Amino acid sequence: MAANNQAFYELYRGSSIGLALTDTLDDLIAHVNPETNQPEPLIPPQLAMKILASFDQAIAEVLQKNVKNRLSFKGSLDTYRFCDEVWTFLIKNVTFKMDHGHPPVTADKIKIVSCNAKKPGET
Amino acid sequence: MSNQAVGNVYQSVIDEVINSSRVDFEESGIEESVLEMLRQNGIKQEPHGQDEAGPAIKREPGHHLPMPPPMTFGGMDNNVAAHRAAQNLQQQYGERAVNSINAIQQGHHAGHQQQQHQHQHQQGQQGQQVADPQAAYRQQMAAATAAQQHASNGQGHLQHSQTDGAGEADSDGEEEEEDDFDAILCRKNEAGELQAMGRVDIDRILHKQFASKAKAMEGGGLMLPLEEATRHKTMPASKRKGKGVARYDGDDDDEEDDEDAINSDLDDPDDVGPDDDGDEDGLGHMMLCMYDKVQRVKNKWKCTLKDGVLTVNGKEYVFHKATGEYEW
Repeated sequence: MAANNQAFYELYRGSSIGLALTDTLDDLIAHVNPETNQPEPLIPPQLAMKILASFDQAIAEVLQKNVKNRLSFKGSLDTYRFCDEVWTFLIKNVTFKMDHGHPPVTADKIKIVSCNAKKPGET
Repeated sequence: MSNQAVGNVYQSVIDEVINSSRVDFEESGIEESVLEMLRQNGIKQEPHGQDEAGPAIKREPGHHLPMPPPMTFGGMDNNVAAHRAAQNLQQQYGERAVNSINAIQQGHHAGHQQQQHQHQHQQGQQGQQVADPQAAYRQQMAAATAAQQHASNGQGHLQHSQTDGAGEADSDGEEEEEDDFDAILCRKNEAGELQAMGRVDIDRILHKQFASKAKAMEGGGLMLPLEEATRHKTMPASKRKGKGVARYDGDDDDEEDDEDAINSDLDDPDDVGPDDDGDEDGLGHMMLCMYDKVQRVKNKWKCTLKDGVLTVNGKEYVFHKATGEYEW
């Protein structure tokens, strides 16, 4: 999955760090010169797309290499959907258990969006 | 704890993105400072690790983006609001609005106002009567009939905008005559008697009129941020709708309708708001990950997930592997 010329899921752009990045990039693109009130992009949109692409790769690789901890969760499944190889679950009254005796975390509902760990080409 | 790992993970992500983007920046001829800004943004964002919008906004001013996003968006909103309001006014109330503006400009509107305030006056009197405990019922009946009369008058206004009903035409005439003499106006009270109005009264009426116009222009959303304008206006709009027929009694209401016009227009994005909130609620508790295995036996589900980012209760967690069991 970490092959360099491979496409990466854009899934993680929806995470908080991904949203922060897209917001920042949007601001850079939509930057308006306060004096002339004219649009004055600090970066071209194409560059922003490249940055997002490298973000897709970076976060996928970092999550794979640098993260070791495990987690388990239970709850009642409200909605499930499997479309285009993407599972979407809406789980209610969910409890997460972390490693190391970290106190469990509960939430009323959580939305899980999950892509196939195996890319179509992979075996 | 996953939560502590988040900082390092995000830091690595930011570093990697920055490093791999450096070449692209150079190729595009973008200053390194912009990249640095991007990095700073990321770093400042990361320790919070929670609220994407908050840090993203906070980060901007410290660097060389002189205009923080709220201002940018605010400016856009203002333009949009102004544009829309103007459009809407023209479309829906153009004729009447033009009429009343012209009326002011040409000084004709004194008579106009006289009638409006006549109506207001009468309404006020009705209110007092109703408030009177004695013979409340009879007076309510009287008020109701009066209101009906107003309603029919109001319809006249609506149809012809400027051309007034017969009785009011009279008062117009009287007013013009009196104008010829010494610019003192008369108004009819409910009993049909003429009441002389002094200059001070007239001035007061004019002042009120201008003030309400100004309010309609400024408070109506043209000068306000979109958010405030909608928040401010939504309630009155719905209240007014509830009043129905009784309010159709004069040009004054038309002006309130002008405000309504802005409201109703701005209400549209407002209506979308709750949906957005719902989505954000969904985003507030969100897990993005890969699945290895999803199994189901009857209503029992088991899944094995990996490489996930979890946002729950405003906190971020990352995990390498997760197992979930849930019943449908």
